[in-house]
Amino acid sequence: MSPFQLSLMEFAVAGTGAVLTSAGALSYLRRVRLERPAIGTFNSRDIRILFTFIVFLPLLYALLPHWALTFFLSVTFASALSIGLRPLVGPVTLWIAVGTLIGGSIWLSRTMLGTVSGWQLSWLEGDVLVVLAAVAIANLYVQGGMKFKHVAWFALVLAGYDLAFTTVLPVNSHLAEEFLGWPLDPSFGMRFGLYNATIGIGDLLVYALFLIAAFKAYGRVAGRIAMGLIMVFGVAAVSVAPLVLDSFITARTDVAIPAQTLFGPAAFLAYLWMHGRYGRERTMQEFLASADVVTPASAPAVRPAPVLEPVPAPSPA
Amino acid sequence: MLETGIRQFRMAMGMVWGRKLDTANLARLVEDALATLAEFGEPGSDVQQVLDGPLHDPAARRDFINRSLRRTARRLDAQSPFYQRRFAAAGIAIDKLDVETLRSIPVTVKRDLIDRQAEFQCADSSRYLATRTTGTTGRPAEIWLSRYEIELLSGMGALAAVLRDEVRSSDVIQVNVSSRATVSVHLNAAFCRLVGCGCRVIGIVPPDEALDSLTEGAVTLLATVPSYLGELVVAARRRGLGPDDFRLRRIDGGGEVLSASLAAAARETFGVTQVNDVFAMTEVIPVTGRTCSAGHLHHDINMGLVELLDLETGEPAAPGALSTVVITPYFPYRECMPVFRYDTRDVVRCLPQETLECEVAGIPATSPVLGKADQILRLGPADVVTPRELVEAVEALPSQPWPARFRAQLADGRLRLRLPESALDGLSEAGAYDHFAERGLDVDLVLVPDEDGPSLRPVRSDLHETTFVATPALIGE
Repeated sequence: MSPFQLSLMEFAVAGTGAVLTSAGALSYLRRVRLERPAIGTFNSRDIRILFTFIVFLPLLYALLPHWALTFFLSVTFASALSIGLRPLVGPVTLWIAVGTLIGGSIWLSRTMLGTVSGWQLSWLEGDVLVVLAAVAIANLYVQGGMKFKHVAWFALVLAGYDLAFTTVLPVNSHLAEEFLGWPLDPSFGMRFGLYNATIGIGDLLVYALFLIAAFKAYGRVAGRIAMGLIMVFGVAAVSVAPLVLDSFITARTDVAIPAQTLFGPAAFLAYLWMHGRYGRERTMQEFLASADVVTPASAPAVRPAPVLEPVPAPSPA
Repeated sequence: MLETGIRQFRMAMGMVWGRKLDTANLARLVEDALATLAEFGEPGSDVQQVLDGPLHDPAARRDFINRSLRRTARRLDAQSPFYQRRFAAAGIAIDKLDVETLRSIPVTVKRDLIDRQAEFQCADSSRYLATRTTGTTGRPAEIWLSRYEIELLSGMGALAAVLRDEVRSSDVIQVNVSSRATVSVHLNAAFCRLVGCGCRVIGIVPPDEALDSLTEGAVTLLATVPSYLGELVVAARRRGLGPDDFRLRRIDGGGEVLSASLAAAARETFGVTQVNDVFAMTEVIPVTGRTCSAGHLHHDINMGLVELLDLETGEPAAPGALSTVVITPYFPYRECMPVFRYDTRDVVRCLPQETLECEVAGIPATSPVLGKADQILRLGPADVVTPRELVEAVEALPSQPWPARFRAQLADGRLRLRLPESALDGLSEAGAYDHFAERGLDVDLVLVPDEDGPSLRPVRSDLHETTFVATPALIGE
């Protein structure tokens, strides 16, 4: 394939992944309510905790043997899928679906990778897994109170991280190579002939977060702008980059593009612009009360019954 | 959210292991709860679990009680001279202590607290703030609390109140309790600081001054004692004030009997839907009780053990029996001067739990407090008159004599009730007797001049504090 054809292939795969994940997350946000803890909303310290995980998790992945990595990923995907599916299906259906998706990925990657169509089937199954997990986690965060501001900062910091971990300390590209052909590859991808085109679940998660956080904060127009930015900076720019830059070619001649490095600054600037134009973000309560929710929030939760705590009261005898 | 989860985990582990809780962590949880409400408008769906704990299962509750009792007794045995001696005299094995063997330990009474106060202080704690009971029932007792206790109690109260939407950051609480009720005042102020709402501590000042503050439009919550509430209602009606003159959302009253008539009058005058009758007592703080919509008093089961002992036998009371409320606050909720099996002498009727159908039926309940044990009048073996019956009857008189002033005594086997003359205004002699008879009280009425009224029955609002507001200036006029 020519470089241009490879770019087109990457655009098609990354675009499909980005659209499916972002649109899925938005649809989920507008229709489904995730359970949340009694106390707690996302704050900037949570972002720091999350970022610490993101820095150290790939290092852990790189150190783990494959069997341990598969186990770790199984638990991670099972958790994400169960979070997303719990409001939609009963527990039996949920665990059958989770087991089928995870078991299917393991089985397909062990038995079906001898042919291109086998690879394609394996990718297809893995893609479903990746999209569902990213949709669930994006909603977990945004429905848990993560604001557009948090997402924008997160994307900006990831831009630097992605660049460093792709060029200076190429853990990400190493992992992408290591995961290829193994079960539960946390990437959305497809194979055409000899070539695999992929986009990482982390990138898809950030795109989904960006879209639904913008939509929740400022409504439909902001959502359209966010989706446009995702397609331009998160998909098109990433696909075209290898045509103009050759600095991301690995020793195995694979091309590893730090997608967040291109997307993060654009996302952050877009946030600043929207914040200046639209002002304060909507709270989750305001969003749920708006017409942007397909099924309006049902009756407000019943307040707990009055009982028994030491509300400072008049002094007794 | 992740950070809040870690904080909740730390607090839960502190409770499970019975260690002193990190009060700074608790204060940050209050901030988290406020942020949660700001973002979502309500706490998450499992808030009831957070507030009440998983103690609706009787077996789990029993296990929790036994573990809490042992933990509390173990600490007292090591740190409290009074209880070291008391446990040794009772010959109990603390590691085997449970709700059954607990009864071998004599109850602690107010006289113990008054006579041997120093022996109650735990060796491993430092005194910070003292509060004295008001002495309406005799000599006052003095209770010391540590800084930890003040921070913990205000934090726990603030967290629960925020999650129940009882207090919002936009509220202003007016506190009309005696300024000498230092713990109550201090807790109110600390509570408001944590919630971020306003706190206006006014005290038991002339009612018109308190009303002036209420009518300014800022105050949304009122904390006071029932007798002072009565004075406020009377003053408000005299001035022709009504619901439109106030912004009050709720009134919390406690420490005295709150009659149904006074509560109804307060609702009508101040335009509030809720007048809470809270059971709280300095000696056993933070174990409190709340009245539900069915009028039951539900006692806290998370921070202390509430026993109901038959007034006659001292054994656990049977349903329907009059009993005294005996409370043991658990460690780590009390630190400085904890009590163990403290007999409050507050009398309630024991209710069978299986018959409860209110919104908090899973939590043990009693009748509201009927009065102090030494104020119960016995006309016969099964014929008793409680202070609540008398307060309810007097405060329901057409003259609206709030707070009720009366003195009831037994004379020749009959109930003699002394009242101020004006209490019976609007009623004929026969009408007055009928009024009490309709409430099951066969009384002989004796009228005294109105100026003698306050001496008949001291109430908390008698502790009026002087101010310069209504006094003409001595110089410069």
